Amino acid sequence: MTNPTTLADRAHEKPPFYRDATIVKWIIQVAVLALVLFSLFFLASEAGDNLRASNVPTDFNFLDVDPGIKVSEGIDTDPDTGGRALWVGMVNTIRMSIAGIAAATVLGVIIGLARLSSNWTVNKVGSIYIETIRNVPLLVQIYIWAAVLASLSSVNLDQGPIHGWVHLSNKGLSLPRVFISDGFYQWLVVMIFGALVARWVHKRQTAIHDATGHDTYPIGSGGGVLVVFAAIGWFVHPVFGFVGGWLDQVAELIDGTPEFGLQLVLSALFVGAAVLWIRSFLNQRRTPAGPAQLSDDDWFRMIFAGIGAGIGVFVVLIMWPGLSSWMINSSRDLFEVLGAKFGDGRDGAPFDAMRPNVVKPGNFANYGPNGLNLTIGFAAVFFGVVLYTAAFIGEIVRGGILAIPKGQTEAAAAVGLRRSTQLRMVILPQAIRIILPPVGNQYLNLAKNTSLAIAVGYSDLVQVGQTIGNQTGKPLPVFAIWMLFYLAVSLTISVVVNFFNVRLKIVER
Amino acid sequence: MSFSDAHSPISDDLASRRDMIVCDNVNKWYGDFQALKDVSATIKEQEVVVVLGPSGSGKSTWIRCINRLEVHQKGMIAVDGVELSNDLRNIEKIRSEVGMVFQQFNLFPHLTVIDNITLAPRWVRKLPKSDADARARALLDRVGIPEQADKYPGQLSGGQQQRVAIARALAMEPNVMLFDEPTSALDPEMIKEVLDVMKGLAESGMTMMVVTHEMGFAREVADRIIFMEEGEIVEVGTPEHFFTDPTEDRTKLFLSQIL
Repeated sequence: MTNPTTLADRAHEKPPFYRDATIVKWIIQVAVLALVLFSLFFLASEAGDNLRASNVPTDFNFLDVDPGIKVSEGIDTDPDTGGRALWVGMVNTIRMSIAGIAAATVLGVIIGLARLSSNWTVNKVGSIYIETIRNVPLLVQIYIWAAVLASLSSVNLDQGPIHGWVHLSNKGLSLPRVFISDGFYQWLVVMIFGALVARWVHKRQTAIHDATGHDTYPIGSGGGVLVVFAAIGWFVHPVFGFVGGWLDQVAELIDGTPEFGLQLVLSALFVGAAVLWIRSFLNQRRTPAGPAQLSDDDWFRMIFAGIGAGIGVFVVLIMWPGLSSWMINSSRDLFEVLGAKFGDGRDGAPFDAMRPNVVKPGNFANYGPNGLNLTIGFAAVFFGVVLYTAAFIGEIVRGGILAIPKGQTEAAAAVGLRRSTQLRMVILPQAIRIILPPVGNQYLNLAKNTSLAIAVGYSDLVQVGQTIGNQTGKPLPVFAIWMLFYLAVSLTISVVVNFFNVRLKIVER
Repeated sequence: MSFSDAHSPISDDLASRRDMIVCDNVNKWYGDFQALKDVSATIKEQEVVVVLGPSGSGKSTWIRCINRLEVHQKGMIAVDGVELSNDLRNIEKIRSEVGMVFQQFNLFPHLTVIDNITLAPRWVRKLPKSDADARARALLDRVGIPEQADKYPGQLSGGQQQRVAIARALAMEPNVMLFDEPTSALDPEMIKEVLDVMKGLAESGMTMMVVTHEMGFAREVADRIIFMEEGEIVEVGTPEHFFTDPTEDRTKLFLSQIL
């Protein structure tokens, strides 16, 4: 063998398997999957063995028994079960997160614009705000807020808000509580019609604006229609009591559904989803010249989609057959409950309100359950996370606007657009694309930072869970619930932010 | 103003026309650096003026002062009889009557081609959408890319983008068009398509002020050429005078370097 072999000579030879890209990729994918599954299984079984050996309780029985605690604020201050108590904590966390995200966004945008302002005073106020707030730990800020608010005057029976609407003290802020009343669901039916009409009016006004160039205020008109419907609905809603009959019929229909039928439908949904996904995936890979060659990665994805559908069918039919009867029962119950909301004698006002009151159950006076009571703990955590997050959002907004090339402003100015129109039509629509992903991260931070509430005794999930864990001596199940809950909240925020992210994407070649 | 008259005999026909752009002793500084030194010139209606000069000579600064993307610090600029001042109404009026085309196109990447063109007509002129769309499609036809109306700028070639930018400026039906090095960012094979559109525009009687390095275009299309160096106007003349028989030494040096 004296002839040198070149690559061209060897072109027809089959490569050894460890140099064949297709085989190597398959081996790596399968190996990674196996390794991940094995690690999870190993960790779980190891942890289980150790816990059993050391007798640490891991059961969730406390969810169904009386927790023996009171929750200082929330939808239910005296919960019957541990599960209910944790639910109250979750609602408090969600409440804080939503209110915090909304307020931090508004404040953050204002701060960001202030830092871009050419007005010297406004600009400096923004800078000082950001430099102060973001350089002090959030926990310290929450403590400071709690201390400041605790120095407000105390409540007593004589000068309480019994005759008033609003009361502020070192127990917090008490406001009139508005709650939904008998006629709410009938009124909601009216509002659904109102929303449809408002949508139609909005579209029509937009079309008129496009056709004639007149200012037609589509958003204002749509909102006006909603207000009119809300007002009319207040008086005519009892007419819609008959919707309850329909809902009862739906409940009966669901009750009559055979279990096996639902199992088949669910299986078909899984298989159908996988087939649709693979079809649209193949369509994406299609080029004008015909179907493109599929890479190994493409095959992995399609196979995983198929496996996923298979697992779904397995779960529904074999592993957990009770799932379908549970689904049937709970959706029947849902419609029955909804139907009952339309029952006789439920034609009162859709909303009702109660004024704050003061009670004195023991030695100290406090706000009673009639009002909407925001405690000092709530205010301290709220001010803390909002001001802190707003500082970061402000910087993100400023960065996003500065990232738009100067040429965009110049081009918008050169065609004669006013400064406000330039911002609204040219700069902000582009800046929002840069701003949104990092702001989404700040939303996640805010939601997770609300867990610092434990420092000032606001009854969020962590605070309630901590108490229950201590009472029952079962911290591990509580930890698991914490983790799953925050994971669910974070994923929800991510999904929402990503949805807008994708929608706002700029089309490139 | 005597300066331009002394150096460039304007034909009687041109002299009798309306003044579109009048600059009188315009000065501008960036810190200590003087970018424009006593720049004076008058551009008549339907006239095509090409501004030449080495980089850093103040050509772009001058043209950007005319629709106040840059603010001059001394002297007077008037467009179609309206003087540029701090009065925002005047600035908006002038900007909506003066079209500008940039070196980097500066199309709005988040809007389709047609929306790029109709944005100002709809928001400044308050034109109905259907009218604005019809006008935009006619302009796209004129610049030779009617089929690109619903694409986004990122999907077009450089030459196509610059032609959209010209259509966007024309959509406001301006009296004057300013071109700030419109072909400098283009690949060589795309320069011609943009210059052809500009030639067509010149032939249709548009008043144009063009900063460019395209000598062929200057020679063929310009009514007058203004040569600038170090922030001042060195020489003004017809293309024939400028390319064959320049009077100033600095002009001769510049021409010897580029031709």
